[in-house]
Amino acid sequence: MANSNSNAAFNDKGKPMEVRLSNMTAAKAVSDAVRTSLGPKGMDKMIQTAQGEVVVTNDGATILKHMAVLHPAAKMLVDLSAAQDVEAGDGTTSVVVLAGSLLGAAEKMLSKGMHPTIIAESFLKASARAVKFLEEISTPVDLKDKGSLLRAASTSLNSKIVSQYSSTLAPIAVSAVSRLVTPSSSDVDLRDIRIVKKVGGTIEDTELVEGVVLNQTVVTSAGGPARMEKAKIGLIQFQISPPKPDMDHQIAVNDYRQLDKILKEERQYVLNICKKISRAGCNVLLIQKSILRDAVNDIALHFLSKLKIVVLKDIERDEIEFLSKSTGARPIADIDAFTPDKLGHAELVEETQQAGARIVKVSGVKNPGRTVSVLCMGSNSVVLEETDRSLHDALCVVRCLVKKRALIAGGGAPEIHVSRLLSQYALTLKGMEAYCFQAYADALEIIPTTLAENAGLNPIAIVTELRNRHARGEKNAGINVRKGLISNILEEDVVQPLLVSTSAVELATETVALLLKVDDYHLTR
Amino acid sequence: MSVNIYSDEATEERAESARLSSFVGGIAVGDVVKSTLGPKGMNKILQSSASGDVNVTNDGATILKSIHIDNAAAKILVNISKVQDDEIGDGTTSVCVLAAELLREAEKLIMTKVHPQTIVDGYRIGSTAALEALKLAAIDHGSDPTRFRDDLFNIARTTLSSKVLSQDKDYFANLAVDAVLRLQGSTDLEHIQIIKKVGGKLTDSYLDEGFILDKQIGTNCPKRIENAKILIANTSMDTDKIKIFGARVKVDGTGKLAELERAEKEKMKAKVEAIASHGITCFVNRQLIYNYPESLLSEKGIMCIEHADFEGVERLSLVTGGEIASTFDRPDLVKLGHCDLIEEIMIGEDKLIKFSGVAAGQACTVVLRGSTNQMVDEAERSLHDALSVLSQTVKETRIVLGGGCSEMLMSNAAEEAARKVSGKKAIAVEAFARALRQIPVILADNAGFDSSDLTARLRAAHYEGRSDSGLDMDLGTIASMKTLGITESYKLKRQVVLSASEAAEMIVRVDTILRSAPRKREGV
Repeated sequence: MANSNSNAAFNDKGKPMEVRLSNMTAAKAVSDAVRTSLGPKGMDKMIQTAQGEVVVTNDGATILKHMAVLHPAAKMLVDLSAAQDVEAGDGTTSVVVLAGSLLGAAEKMLSKGMHPTIIAESFLKASARAVKFLEEISTPVDLKDKGSLLRAASTSLNSKIVSQYSSTLAPIAVSAVSRLVTPSSSDVDLRDIRIVKKVGGTIEDTELVEGVVLNQTVVTSAGGPARMEKAKIGLIQFQISPPKPDMDHQIAVNDYRQLDKILKEERQYVLNICKKISRAGCNVLLIQKSILRDAVNDIALHFLSKLKIVVLKDIERDEIEFLSKSTGARPIADIDAFTPDKLGHAELVEETQQAGARIVKVSGVKNPGRTVSVLCMGSNSVVLEETDRSLHDALCVVRCLVKKRALIAGGGAPEIHVSRLLSQYALTLKGMEAYCFQAYADALEIIPTTLAENAGLNPIAIVTELRNRHARGEKNAGINVRKGLISNILEEDVVQPLLVSTSAVELATETVALLLKVDDYHLTR
Repeated sequence: MSVNIYSDEATEERAESARLSSFVGGIAVGDVVKSTLGPKGMNKILQSSASGDVNVTNDGATILKSIHIDNAAAKILVNISKVQDDEIGDGTTSVCVLAAELLREAEKLIMTKVHPQTIVDGYRIGSTAALEALKLAAIDHGSDPTRFRDDLFNIARTTLSSKVLSQDKDYFANLAVDAVLRLQGSTDLEHIQIIKKVGGKLTDSYLDEGFILDKQIGTNCPKRIENAKILIANTSMDTDKIKIFGARVKVDGTGKLAELERAEKEKMKAKVEAIASHGITCFVNRQLIYNYPESLLSEKGIMCIEHADFEGVERLSLVTGGEIASTFDRPDLVKLGHCDLIEEIMIGEDKLIKFSGVAAGQACTVVLRGSTNQMVDEAERSLHDALSVLSQTVKETRIVLGGGCSEMLMSNAAEEAARKVSGKKAIAVEAFARALRQIPVILADNAGFDSSDLTARLRAAHYEGRSDSGLDMDLGTIASMKTLGITESYKLKRQVVLSASEAAEMIVRVDTILRSAPRKREGV
């Protein structure tokens, strides 16, 4: 190991080094772009998309998704953030910032002449150890302990634009997920939580709805009812409009009397369908969208309104599963199969005006499935979209706790703790590995440093004090961004799921290791 | 008066210049992949010029396949690497590097006015001696199941240690060995399905018995079926219309139209009845299943899975033992697939369908997770390499030692042979030995160790009779490969030496390169 560089003289390593440095520059540029949005005092980014839409967000994954990066290494960082989004749902900014910092550390070691594979391997070893340290300081959490879940969700929401509404959104996220959880489940399908977005009102009007909220509005053009008590809901996948066989066809009209006949037959045909629906006892009709022909035509709407049936059209095919699950109605694909046993029952289906938005709610469902609807409100579409994203992150945080039931402190406390333990461990090692572990430990400090920087504090003063407190055994000392000082972060209720931190550390290190090993760059077909 | 022998753009290179251009091409290709060799090898970023897609890999075959090459000799090297990939699955870099080293030696010899044919003769002698030595060194544990499993595990570890999975090689080596042993001697890797899902870390990957289909179960169908009878079909379940071009119905009223529509529905209903009459509990179709048949099927308690793709349907047919049907008139003639349990599982954020306890017991699925797309793609390639090497080893059970040990062994044998050869050929045999010795040199170089020192010590160790010595890539010293468990498949090593020397011989014998006029094409 000692003479590892003695043959460097007759090996031209110019190009690989250049490639590596270019990768690092690109990756660090990406990480710098999102760095300022980390933490509760992070700033937002305004993104103008190619279509001219405006997005305001401080969600790392969203920012990166919209950045049109070209450099392959930068692309990998974008992917990294997306992977964290899939795995944990939150911490998408931290993971990129961490990767950038690790690459910076690696760059310094490369310039000292260390071999990249050794750095990569030591980093991977260090990350495994870091995860172990994180697990050690985590506290197990019971899913029945709503308080802890609430704290974790609020911590996540506090770093978003919608932070002042965290007291509204956090309970929604917690109760939405805990409704879907069974004691044995190890995962939650977030597709069973439906977020319906409506412009109007303020974020405070966002609520978890008992029952189901629909994206669609009631069709009232033919004067049908918009409210139905003791609703019997039919979910149909066929169309109520003149027949149209799949074969090519032509109606031959020879004289005008025939025209009358055709019109009459058409009315009769539609009326028959409507009558059959009414006879089965159905009084709320959800109609799937059809691209081949009108899902429901004007005559049908007229008949249905006469028969006092509430009509909702344009239900998407992929919504059917959710609606069927939550209303208990089974989808019906043919009029002859329209029988009362397929209907779903609910106390009330009602369209209401809420802060200027028309909302259809189904409440008091008789046999509700495990689904949840959240009505998300906001004064304009930009705020609404961001609320949706933040709510999604909060849901993910709660889901993380279902996947891995443990919490750790937030506010940079775990990073400092791990960094301290890793540097201690590095002292027991020999050779280059010791060096790499130390560098890895230092790189982890980027999280508290950035938190402090973004909050307008003096990062050096804060981080050194933080280290000092940890050295004195205050394992939970973290940055209290609100007050701008160091305090026991657990008392401030700043907690995050263990999975978010461990997955950020692991994913960032994996990507950095892959990037470090790159020594050439080829254009291909 | 000058006459054009060749058409306008055709070119001819002769003698010195032809040889020079093939040497330069071959050596250049070797140099491209050289740095990816071995456990400390580097990755390359491949960026597609058309779509801008990024690929990170250190698989020789993948790199060579994708780069632009316009040199005849270089193309030969790419080809042998491809053949190695098809035959063995691994060693694609080694074969290319060895061939390039042989060419480098040949170039030097030609500079000293050795005739190409003499070089070829010498190389032949060298490779025969080397292969003989390799054969003698090979160990066979094929008859002892437990030791053989260890062997397989070691081979998998050795293969994986040069890939992206190196950090978790023990985990994946076990996974690969389990998967291959399930195949019970067959080399058909079709039974091992690899599913890639971004998210999670590499060690979240796992091996699962049975088959996983990346599709959704239809609306309102049962989500879990035990003892399933599966009908796999490729039939249109959208509309069962008579497909005659230009067929057109003429009616004189809406009522008739309604009747027609009814008739169509009846036809579909009859088809569903026919399908249900097979006594099945699960219906998988390659094409879409529309709402109407789907609701009819779900009414009968039959799980339906639509749009399962060609690949999905074929694999499903392979593992469940069912035949793909497209007519349903004779239920007695259709072979149904069977499995113990069908259920929905979640990987990351996606729902997939798992078929467990399938008829073909050897079938299994590897679910790969990783932080980025590049990561899982590379992991798939690595795992595929390991799987193919293992499946080949199950057939040809002999193993040899890795870590540059076998190369040094062969190089020494070739040198030994050189002494017995009289005449100019001996120089070529020596060159062959030198080329083989370059493999450990490159291995050490890639790891940043002092290559000249290490190979010299390795050679000395072999002369002292420690014939299991090789390079310990973790510590940068010489160690016994046997105790470290660095093993490789005999077939792989043999194939590397054979193809590399054959390719080199072929290129050395070339004395003219004729390039025909390119076909006129726009925009290429």
